[in-house]
Amino acid sequence: MGLADRAVGFLLSFISLSIFTYYTFWVIILPFVDSDHFIHQYFPPLEYAILIPVFAGVTLLFFLCVFIGMVILKSKKKKP
Amino acid sequence: MKHVVKIMALLVAISSIWVGLLQTSIIPHSHTWLLPIYFVVSLGCYGLLMVGIGLMRFPTCPQEALLLQQDIIEAKEFLKQKGIDVGSD
Repeated sequence: MGLADRAVGFLLSFISLSIFTYYTFWVIILPFVDSDHFIHQYFPPLEYAILIPVFAGVTLLFFLCVFIGMVILKSKKKKP
Repeated sequence: MKHVVKIMALLVAISSIWVGLLQTSIIPHSHTWLLPIYFVVSLGCYGLLMVGIGLMRFPTCPQEALLLQQDIIEAKEFLKQKGIDVGSD
């Protein structure tokens, strides 16, 4: 049980660190690099650096609202 | 109520710093426009990191678990002697 917990924790921290470094590179370091460097082909254009987090945030809010709505509907069904 | 006031004050301070950065152009403009969303993403990453680290360092106390099981067995026997039905055996 402890080993599975540790593995999940390690996976979560690894994912979070990699997302953080990739995003920092993308937003902060890449605009200072010359535009014909080879590293630019590993990163999508800069508009996506805004679109992807906003899209993820909207999706999260959507699922949150759907979940709350389902819970409210279920509690209303049980009352009468 | 006071906690909300503290959080609002922090948000106002951060946005005033951002607007000040925009006006005085210390950092190139393309960077300044991306700063808020960068901080939001890094805050989410930091939260995830804290959850992962907490999961990794969670203590399980195996000796205490054993003692607890023994306590449970003792309590069940005692209650059975007194005639109370403990069930789920």
